Parts: sequence; structure tokens; C-alpha cells
Amino acid sequence: MNNVLTAIQNEARRILQEGIVDVVVGFEAGTLQLKAQPFFMHKADDVDKLVWNGFCQNNLATYLTRLDKQQRIGIICRGCDSRAVRTLVMEHQYDREKLYLIGVPCTGIVDWRAVQRQTGEDILSAEEIGDEIVIATPQKKWKFSRAEMLHDSCKRCAHPNPVGVDITIGELLPEGDPQQAFTRTREFELKSAEDRYAYFQVEAERCIRCYACREACPMCYCSECFVDYTTPRWAESMITPSGTQAWHIIRAFHQAGRCVSCGACERACPMDIKMTYLTDKLNRDMLDLYGFDVGENDDKQPPFAAFSLDDRDRFVK
Amino acid sequence: MNHQPRIVVFQCQFCLYAETDQHWMDHELPANFKLVKVPCSGRISPLFVLNAFQGGADGVLISGCVPEMCHYKEGNLGARRQLDEFSRLLKYIGLEEQRIRFAWIDVNQRGRIQQELASFEKDLADLPRNERLATRTPVEQGALQ
Repeated sequence: MNNVLTAIQNEARRILQEGIVDVVVGFEAGTLQLKAQPFFMHKADDVDKLVWNGFCQNNLATYLTRLDKQQRIGIICRGCDSRAVRTLVMEHQYDREKLYLIGVPCTGIVDWRAVQRQTGEDILSAEEIGDEIVIATPQKKWKFSRAEMLHDSCKRCAHPNPVGVDITIGELLPEGDPQQAFTRTREFELKSAEDRYAYFQVEAERCIRCYACREACPMCYCSECFVDYTTPRWAESMITPSGTQAWHIIRAFHQAGRCVSCGACERACPMDIKMTYLTDKLNRDMLDLYGFDVGENDDKQPPFAAFSLDDRDRFVK
Repeated sequence: MNHQPRIVVFQCQFCLYAETDQHWMDHELPANFKLVKVPCSGRISPLFVLNAFQGGADGVLISGCVPEMCHYKEGNLGARRQLDEFSRLLKYIGLEEQRIRFAWIDVNQRGRIQQELASFEKDLADLPRNERLATRTPVEQGALQ
């Protein structure tokens, strides 16, 4: 892991020194353990602070639409970040020529909430040593297996390797099975409609509408979100049970054929609300019906940007 | 019939070419139907459908032109993909599948809309009243309109 970090740092330093990019987006150690924070390197000297480990929670592609469009940006990309970048480039949100992507095959992101639940105390330090996570709390030292503490989205990740990047650092990992990613949605579908609705209701109505999921999501970049749009108000979007349900349904629906299943929304959620079961379902439909795997290639149009007469059999009654 | 279902009909303004049909829709629609005319089925946002259910509709009927007959060439094709996927999502979170129906009506199918509405109403009457997603406070009880 250290070799990988050194290699990333060298590459980031090189592209900054040679003036290939204006800013490199990576991670630095945060004020909280278990959560590295996004870091914008403008000078070659900044690079020393760069970290790279399983505690890097955010999806860095988010900053593509939030930074100044004139800048040339370097991004350190895991599998999900790189697919998000590709989708954003396809949606003409950024010029690919102005990006320099440093790809790093990803071994998964540690779910900070799972660790916190197990330890139940303030965490003084957290370290990754090989396949283990070593946590120190005031009372005790903990050791966890890394594979068990991964975030749900990472456990079922199908594409750990970055795609369409300029340089890949580290060894490529075996690709997962795309269908395995959908096991959970299949299980969910087997439940009765009452149970499904009850689950949805509980998850949706705990929402405090802080919109952390929206801010963490690389695909949520509308300048005005439908929930903030009040004149005219096309649908209930207030902080009421129905408004919150609408937020969850439509937020997910706007991700159809775009969500890269990075799980950044769930990790950002302060209420620990599960949301990826909705977007996974939509992604599965996109794969089954239109053969579209998000970020898989550059030339295939997103399913909702296209339409075809061949769809007709499924609709006409 | 156990109860009279409340139905919201989103109708593309071009698919009922027969004047008698359109007149019936505009003036003689039974009171438990709400007609929302849209310029094209492509205008029907998933939000509208959701809004109808939240406002207490038991079912939503979406009527549009058949493929290749769209007044705007391809509005209905885009709408079909989106709205079909949206109905799948609603089914996934527990809404009965039968509560959303699509009727793609050709301009020469005179009287078809009445048949569609009647059969839809009959199907919905067999189901209980919709309580899922119908979470909005009714206007009579002081909700914003």
C-alpha cells in the first residue's frame, strides 16, 4: 500500500510540476479518524500530505461539477470514481482533454459506521495493516478483518478497476460479477409488497432532508434540484412524510442509468438510511432491458437519452 | 363494485382524434376521474404520476399515441422508456403493479378510451383503496394546494 501511495504522490507531483493540471484532487488525513477528507493540491509541495487508504469515503468525481470549469483537473480515481467521471464526460459536464486521471485499483472502502458500531467509543487512531484494521479507543485496542468491515457497496462491487484513465498505478484486481451486485435487490423483490413498502417507508421517513446524499453524489449536479423548486410546485417536496418519500423516489429515479453504485450517498447520510437498494434496482433494469452498464464504455448512449421503436412490444396492450 | 376508485388520467391531446371521444373526455367524464391534458405523453413527468398517488389517487392511466404516430415525432418513445421504468420502481417499493396503466391509442380507435377507462376502473375496484404513497394531507384538512 505504501508503494502505491508513493507512486501516486510521485505522479501527482509530476503532473503539477510539469503544469499538466492546475489542481489534483485527492485525500488528506481528516480531523476525524476513519474519514479522510478531500484535498485539493495546487502546488507540488502539497502532495506530501496526500493519503490513500480504505478510509477515503468520498467519491472524488463529485468535484468535477463543483470546481471551476476552466481548470485542468487531475483526479485520483478508484473504479467507481473513474466510471463517474466517464459518465459526467458523456453528459458534457467536463472536457475530457482537461482531465488527467490517475487510476488506482480499489480494494474497498471501510465502512466507518460499522467500525463505530463495533467499538462504540471514541476512536483515537485507525490504521490499515495488511488485511486488518487496527483501531485504538480509550479502553481497548481492536483488530478487525478488513473484508468484513467494507462498506456494503464495496462488498458487492463489480468493477474495482479504474476505466479510461491516463495512468494506472498498482496491480489490476480481478473483476467482480455484475450480477452479484444485484443479489440484494433480487432478495428484496421476493418480499411481499407490504414488507417492501414498510421497509421503504421506514427508510424514507427517517430522513432529515439535509441533502448530504445529494452533495456527496457525483451525479447530482443540477443547479436547481426538484425539491428546491417551488414556483410552480409540481409535486409535494416539503418536509412531510409524502415530501420525503417523493425525495427518495425521485432522487433514485434521476439516477437511473447513471448511478455508479459507489455508495457515497449512504456513507454521507447522517441517519444511516439505506438508499442504494433503489438505485441498484434501476441499474439492474438498465442492464437487463438495454444492456447498459454505467461507465462501461464511451460510445453507448445512456438509456434515457435514447429511445427505440423496438421497445414497443413491452408497452402496447 | 366495492368502492369507486379515484383515477387520474393523463391524456395526450392528440391521441383522441375522434371529436366525440374528446368531447366525452372533456365534458362527460364521471366525477371519480380527473383529466389532465398534456401536449404530448413526453410531457408527463414521473413527478406528476407520483403526485397523483400522493394526492390519493387509486390509479393512474397514461394515454399516449402509438409509436410512429406521435405529433412531435418521438415524444411518446422517450416517455415510454421513462414511465415504464418509473412504474417498475414504484412496483419495487411496494405499490401494486395494476395501479399504473398505459394505453397507447391510435387515432382511428374510436371509443377505445371509454373501454380502457371502464376496464381500468373495474380492475381497481377489485383492489382495496390505495393507502401506499397516499401520505399527503388532504386539501380539506389544510394542506397546501
